[in-house]
Amino acid sequence: MHKKCVWREIAKKTSSTRFCVLVLIGTHFEVLFNNSIWGRSSSQRSSIFTKGHLVLQKNISRRDFTKLATALAGSLGLGAAAAPRTATALEKLAAGKPNVLWLQALSCSGCTVSALNSYQPDAIDLITEYMSLLFHSTISSATGSLASSVISETIDQGDFLLVVEGSIPLGMPEACMSGGRPISELIAKAAGRAKAVVAVGTCSSFGGIPAAENNPTGAVSVRDFLDSESIGKPLINLPGCPCHPDWLVGTLVHVTEFGMPSLDDDLRPTMFYSKVVHDQCPRFADYERGNFAESFSDSGCLFKLGCVGARTFSDCIHRRWNGGVNSCIDSGAPCIGCAGKDFAKKADFPLYRIGQEDALVTELAQR
Amino acid sequence: MNRKITIDPLTRIEGHLSIRVDVEEGKVITAECSGEMFRGFEAILQGRDPMDAQQIMQRICGVCPVAHGIASCMAQEEAYGVAPPQNGQLLRNLIQGSNFLQSHILHFYHLSAVDWIDLAAIQKYEGSDPTLRNLQTWVQTQIETQQLFPLAPLFPRYEGNYADDALTNEMGLKNYVIALEMRALAHQMGAIWCGKLPHAPGLIPGGVTESVTARKVARFRSALKRVATFIDDAYLPDVQRVATAFPDYFEVGRGCGNFLTYGMFGQPTGSEEPTFSPGVLMDGKLQTFHQDQITEDTCYSRFSSPSGIHPSSGASAPDPHKDKAYSWIKAPRYAGQVMEVGPLARVLTAYKRGTDPNLVNLVDKYLEALAVDATALPSVLGRHLSRALEAKIVATKMLEWVEMLAPEEPTNTPFTIPQTGTGAGLTEAARGALGHWLQIRNGKISNYQCVVPTTWNCSPRDDEGNPGATEQALMGTPVNNVENPLEAARVVRSFDPCLACAVH
Ligand code: SF4
Ligand code: SF4
Repeated sequence: MHKKCVWREIAKKTSSTRFCVLVLIGTHFEVLFNNSIWGRSSSQRSSIFTKGHLVLQKNISRRDFTKLATALAGSLGLGAAAAPRTATALEKLAAGKPNVLWLQALSCSGCTVSALNSYQPDAIDLITEYMSLLFHSTISSATGSLASSVISETIDQGDFLLVVEGSIPLGMPEACMSGGRPISELIAKAAGRAKAVVAVGTCSSFGGIPAAENNPTGAVSVRDFLDSESIGKPLINLPGCPCHPDWLVGTLVHVTEFGMPSLDDDLRPTMFYSKVVHDQCPRFADYERGNFAESFSDSGCLFKLGCVGARTFSDCIHRRWNGGVNSCIDSGAPCIGCAGKDFAKKADFPLYRIGQEDALVTELAQR
Repeated sequence: MNRKITIDPLTRIEGHLSIRVDVEEGKVITAECSGEMFRGFEAILQGRDPMDAQQIMQRICGVCPVAHGIASCMAQEEAYGVAPPQNGQLLRNLIQGSNFLQSHILHFYHLSAVDWIDLAAIQKYEGSDPTLRNLQTWVQTQIETQQLFPLAPLFPRYEGNYADDALTNEMGLKNYVIALEMRALAHQMGAIWCGKLPHAPGLIPGGVTESVTARKVARFRSALKRVATFIDDAYLPDVQRVATAFPDYFEVGRGCGNFLTYGMFGQPTGSEEPTFSPGVLMDGKLQTFHQDQITEDTCYSRFSSPSGIHPSSGASAPDPHKDKAYSWIKAPRYAGQVMEVGPLARVLTAYKRGTDPNLVNLVDKYLEALAVDATALPSVLGRHLSRALEAKIVATKMLEWVEMLAPEEPTNTPFTIPQTGTGAGLTEAARGALGHWLQIRNGKISNYQCVVPTTWNCSPRDDEGNPGATEQALMGTPVNNVENPLEAARVVRSFDPCLACAVH
């Protein structure tokens, strides 16, 4: 296997190999936790396991922690020697919040705005309970050289998850600068030290619009950028233009509380991206009955207006947007494949193909 | 002694901006604004299907995608010879209005307020408000963790003269939290009519794809009333309290003094003269807006394209190492003059025109309460106040528009894309005047140019060497502590810069 691909393979298998330890208590209590990626220790917290749930409880002393850890280690057959290490892992789990460094490259900040649209947990819960957002350019009070030093201290201490929004201008590093240096240098440095990288949105996952045909900056995805820099890190792609807040929150929580989620070949969590839009579409019955919308006001399947739901992996259509009030197809707009690998990439593949019986028709008919 | 200060990155705006100022005797004497990010949207659109534009161009900016989507639809409609039906126009207004509300609320509370209110005041809080109590608990718990930057993203911050009045700080903090919910609710309102936000799938030339139903009307109206109440009970009073605590800032950041607006919101048939119509305020005089007076200079911008060209025939060929260039932003000018755009420009022109008595009375009421007159509006505080007042006016109009919707009536007009055509789409984003110019040849886009609000406000010097609007506003700003140039940051943020837009 090519060297660069090795870590990716590892990343894909994380739930069973390097990053997670499965702890079984009795027969009914089980929790997955992560022993190396997240969180800083918090001596004031502990965790208690209840049937099927993980309850975080504050103000349990280090002694209780060690006791609980010893019991756990015993039940795992690890022996007393393993107890201190287990205690540390438990504390990290209980701390429950990853340190997050969020950097923007060629982005529109839409994924940031979308994250702020999170419902249950709401944006304030996200910032105070679900992550320690050490730096985010749109929200952080720190500005100027103070911001640069927050970023570099975060990178130096190493214990953080790097979130990247936007693609990287590989062919024109001057196309995105921060603190007088190309953002690509900063992202390379941060990724090198990060525990893992989350590419939020289609731009950072797949290049997106900045990487579309005729683009002048040579924009690439985070994955291609890390490859070009030979940086091996666990990477999770969360495509979507913008990324749905649930995908980000769900991934953070999964990673913090249960370890790396299972990923597909494109490094997308399968829990969100294993089905195409078409298979979950409220208009699927129209499609089956051959009831097609011919213009924008019509009811029926939007296929003949250019819908690419059949080739777009995403659960957006049943998850719906903005607290569940609507979705593209429910609002009468065809899926333009915003979460797809080739979203808007080709100039000769229009987003709307009204009345065009193109190759997609055949593709869909053959499914 | 002359001191050079660089603020890079300037955070709590959209995108990548850096500022360099020279400070002499405690005041800024020169300033440079640099847009630091370029993606090349105009090049990407070349040769594409014209209808790709309203989706691709929305992705210029995740904070104001709706304005780009509408500008693009308007440019196409001119080229196609089509117009939205009444429902379509009303829905567009409601989607655009919703995005305005989310953007203005976000800007005041989450991007700006922490420059004024003292976040540290939370530790002294003794009341029983649950929001503030929760925040206090969070602060205490975080400090105990002793981790790196326990209070991030709120701390660290510049040292400086934050508000010392308990009510200003407590209400500011409490509403910072509630505003997070309110701006999400405003986005939800927009999504009711356009599918999702940001990046609205439902905007198309000829109208919108969504249809009107009574259930959607009820849902929208109910959410709008909540947001409108928040504007009245929290946003406006908070701006007023900040203005009362920092009256000096009616004198700081006055800027170039010329204002431009393209007008916004399509008028439903049968309604009165629009409040927000196009206009130019030059040397205090109201002028009629002429689109052909717009040009873009590139002398100090990282483009090799010719300078002084009207955007309908403009080009954007990148030249990252160009001599003298210090920004990715071009320098648009109106009749050769530097212009400020945004809520202040819109409110001032409407106030000067005086055709909407509600707007005039509202502005007068707040000016009187703050013991200043209209000449104080071009300033840091005037921009914040104009934005808040505009939020109120827009919300009021939206409450009227929603009542005019007609279920079962069409929301879009069918069209065909011609082989050749040209069109301009001029509207307003939350941050100011937005224009898209489109050319179609052989049924494909042959040229597309945008001049965006922050292109105007954060422009570098033009070919004549005249600094841009924000650069001018920075000049004369007092800076007490060069290590903590809070005052300069306040001036820049009052414009609500959006850099992804400015360069695109
Ligand atoms: S083609 Fe599109 S609209 Fe039609 S059923 Fe599939 S996803 Fe739904
Ligand atoms: S339906 Fe398609 S275009 Fe709409 S959000 Fe989902 S993937 Fe994106």
